[in-house]
Amino acid sequence: MYLVETLFDSHGERLGLELVAGRAGMSRQIKVPEAHRPGLSLSGYLKSHAGKRILIFGKVEIEYLYDLDPQVRVERLKALLETDVPAVIVARRYLPPKELHKLCEKYQIPLFRAKQTTMNLLSKLTLLLTEEFASSISLHGTLVEVFGVGVLIQGDSSVGKSEAALGLIERGHRLISDDVVKVKKREGSYLEGFGAELTRHHMEIRGIGIINVANLYGAVCVRDHKNIDLVVKLEAWDDHNFYDRVGLDENASDILGVKIPNHILPVKPGRDVVLLLETIALNHRLKAMGYNSAKEFNSKLLDLISTKKRKKIK
Amino acid sequence: MKVSRSVKVKNSMGLHTRPATVIVKMLQNCKSNVHFTCKRETVNAKSLLSILMLAAQRNCRITITAEGIDADVVVEKLVVAFEAEFGERLA
Repeated sequence: MYLVETLFDSHGERLGLELVAGRAGMSRQIKVPEAHRPGLSLSGYLKSHAGKRILIFGKVEIEYLYDLDPQVRVERLKALLETDVPAVIVARRYLPPKELHKLCEKYQIPLFRAKQTTMNLLSKLTLLLTEEFASSISLHGTLVEVFGVGVLIQGDSSVGKSEAALGLIERGHRLISDDVVKVKKREGSYLEGFGAELTRHHMEIRGIGIINVANLYGAVCVRDHKNIDLVVKLEAWDDHNFYDRVGLDENASDILGVKIPNHILPVKPGRDVVLLLETIALNHRLKAMGYNSAKEFNSKLLDLISTKKRKKIK
Repeated sequence: MKVSRSVKVKNSMGLHTRPATVIVKMLQNCKSNVHFTCKRETVNAKSLLSILMLAAQRNCRITITAEGIDADVVVEKLVVAFEAEFGERLA
């Protein structure tokens, strides 16, 4: 549930908002993450009007309202405010008509004045609301940045996720979050991971306890958030399982509807997990640059086979 | 098997480090996947930092969900431990 109060407290200063009326309605819920310029709706045409949105009054709306007969002004505003409006913002610090002021008090709808221009306010507010309403999830795992690649290490408890992350930090890579990674879907296409406020930059290592990585290794070893580019699942080595030996098939994990390349990395004594994770990250970078080692090798092999065939035919 | 139960945090200081350690120790050898849900936040109950992240206060409601072969036994043990305030209750 996202309230007008939450929006005002967390972004009021950034948007330059000043509360003018309707304080009683600060606990109103914002149901739709959109802002709307009423425009035509002020003329009384409310067919297909999108209610439940934050209303933004710009220069045109305010001037139009002042041009109206006071009685008509009240009627139009009433009709508009009765559409479950969570809040009204007047841009450019225009003085809201006193009828709007009174009606907002009456209906308990917070009325704000903002310093910014209408378009600037509209775009900033839309962006903020989209971010706040983005779907999110908490995942069990450790998020590290390895050579600039966001790697989410997953696996059962005590498989060695934290130890692997510690090894990576020691080699100059960065920790975002250990154990719990909060993931948000950004712009509907990519995932951003970050840690919870309390446990951010902390790790729990069996046999040592809880450590603060930022204090131990320095601020250079931590990051607040990072896009998730790869998922690596650590699992105990199983002799009966056939692990990927070539790397031609690419698997993907589905997180919040976004497909993220997924690797299964078996762990057993003697396998340097830190080095393997670094290699996976580097290989991912190489693939992103357009070079796929496995595919390249395969095409070379196919070329060689076909030339041998041709020679035989001759 | 999936078992779900709701419990209340009775410890006066909430779910702080010591009770969380007791929970993690208790779940160390269990076969099921156990999760705690508190205020719409679901975390893995086998991870100490995850439990601490909830910062659950006294009287906070927590839903325990366990999935696996020993789910019922695990949930029952946890409910008893929550009731007994993880041995913190003053006599």
